[in-house]
Amino acid sequence: MTDGPSASMRGLARRLLAVEAASESAAGSHVHEGVRVCEKLKISVARFAGSDSFASLLRRALALARTENATLQTVKVKADGSLNGCEALAVDGPEGAIALIAHLLGLLETFVGEPSTRRLVRQAWPDASLDS
Amino acid sequence: MSAPGKDHREGRVPIRQLPTGVPGLDEILGGGLPEYSFNIIAGAPGSGKTTLAHQLMFANATPERPALYFTVLGEPAIKMLRYQQQFTFFDQSKLDGAIRSINLSQLVLEKDLGAVLDAIIKEVEASNAKIVVVDSFRTVVRKALSSASEMELQGFVQRLALHLTSWQATTFLIGEYVESELRDNPVFTVADGLFWLFQSVERNSIVRKLQVMKLRGQESVPGLHTFRITEQGLQTFPRTFGLTAHKSEHVKGRRRLSAGVPELDSLMGGGIPEGDSLLIAGPSGAGKTVLGIQFIAEGLGRGEPGIVAMFEELPDEYMQRAASFGFDLRKHTEDGSLKLIYLRPLDLSVDETVHEIVNAVKEINCKRLVIDSLVGFEMALAPDFRADFRESLYRMIGALTRLGVTIISTVEVEENFISMGLSNFTISFLADDIVRLRYASINGQLRKILMVVKMRRSQHSIDMCAYDVTSKGLVVGEPMRGYRALTSGIPGPWSLESGQNEPELSRPLESHAEKARKRRGRSAK
Repeated sequence: MTDGPSASMRGLARRLLAVEAASESAAGSHVHEGVRVCEKLKISVARFAGSDSFASLLRRALALARTENATLQTVKVKADGSLNGCEALAVDGPEGAIALIAHLLGLLETFVGEPSTRRLVRQAWPDASLDS
Repeated sequence: MSAPGKDHREGRVPIRQLPTGVPGLDEILGGGLPEYSFNIIAGAPGSGKTTLAHQLMFANATPERPALYFTVLGEPAIKMLRYQQQFTFFDQSKLDGAIRSINLSQLVLEKDLGAVLDAIIKEVEASNAKIVVVDSFRTVVRKALSSASEMELQGFVQRLALHLTSWQATTFLIGEYVESELRDNPVFTVADGLFWLFQSVERNSIVRKLQVMKLRGQESVPGLHTFRITEQGLQTFPRTFGLTAHKSEHVKGRRRLSAGVPELDSLMGGGIPEGDSLLIAGPSGAGKTVLGIQFIAEGLGRGEPGIVAMFEELPDEYMQRAASFGFDLRKHTEDGSLKLIYLRPLDLSVDETVHEIVNAVKEINCKRLVIDSLVGFEMALAPDFRADFRESLYRMIGALTRLGVTIISTVEVEENFISMGLSNFTISFLADDIVRLRYASINGQLRKILMVVKMRRSQHSIDMCAYDVTSKGLVVGEPMRGYRALTSGIPGPWSLESGQNEPELSRPLESHAEKARKRRGRSAK
């Protein structure tokens, strides 16, 4: 399916970024919230599907997100599924990070369905209130 | 499992059985899966191993006693989740803690067997797992043998089995094995249960079969059992037809059932013994199907529910044909006393057919069954099953008559004018009773004759009678006298002397009712 992520997955992406932005200011972290969302999703997805699977999905999500946000051109996915060149995520506001996370969630939704995608998200943020 | 004696059995450890969630499989296993057993699910790619494991998990996992599904370099977990949720047994809510999927691929690639064992143990202990699946364990073994000795592998399997059993987990290792690997394989030696899934292709059809090759602690049903994978997942068709627990109270021949043709009842010594299997053999157009319709209609008129399993005609065509003889079968299908089962899927197996029929028999408390015809039945089977057709028929008829059902099967025989065969299948040994229909050339006409060839356990007429298929069904006439070589189909006068009268076959046959009416008229005079 080549359609973009659903509105519900875009909403979830925004919510996850907001949750991480709030915790960033509380903890004084300097890592971009988009990177931290990816890292948390990586743990959850890799546990059940393996880190290779997560890295593949993230690469595909990045390719899709680049078509709607050119600032992501310098972002790369490393072999272990972590992001490189994340400074670009901070350029031009949060739209680049939203696009990347939304496409990642959208891919998961495409492959395993919304209930399973939300389950993986809940495993990564067990204490967060993620209802839109 | 042999039981040495009642006293000896007392005090033995009870082995609880877990439901498999696979229709028919509990019966094959002798009641269910032995709890805490260490099992292998083996088979070729595409044989249904992963689906079977998922059905087992969904049938047993709870949040308190979850199922852990370890994936190792086999089908990617994301795709597995994508495909498995298409099955109806897949319950999304169970993924909230009752079923957990853990990927061990990286560990297997990078570490040794000890690390893999530690990871599994850690997860099992932390979760209090009830069911553990490793898919594919074959991959673990292959990796292990590339760097460790066979003894180390055996030690690993031993420790894995020991630990998982100690933690009260029932375990399934999934692997793509071939039968030649059965010997000297430490994995098979340690396993308590070995379930093998086969998939064979013959001509254009695929046949799936399951065998319980090994099961410690309880008696399973031996042999190969057909199974199908549908939207519901695996469904097995035990060779016992779901009747293991069925205690037959039926006594064969306790009463006689009318075939719906009074003269034929007389020839059979009073009708068909209840619970018998009657074979009607005859050439095309001889009236076999009509006789089956009369048998069913007669039963329905007496309040005896019936089933017709048809392989050559569609139910609507069958009912239309019955209506042309004055039998309204449609009203009985509507009130539930008659079931018309039309079975012609691709790759049909006898066991599936019987499963369908047995279910219908139980559902409507069926007393009369017509199988029309055995030739059509055989043609509907996948080629692989045709080789076992006779054996399967034997089991099927035995199972159904044990339920107290009286069966009429029709079989077409290729007519010739040299000899008189009973069927081209040599299946007459399956029948308690046999009625043969055949053509004979008499007085320049192709006439029909009927004879009762065999009635097990009872006397029957040895007369050969002419009959016609009329608008009311089969009408049997008087015994044919004065002919020789009737069974050849080209009879001649018994005496060759001139003036020998040709018997009275040129005039139309009288029905039983007409004859009775005439008798009553004569008595009145």
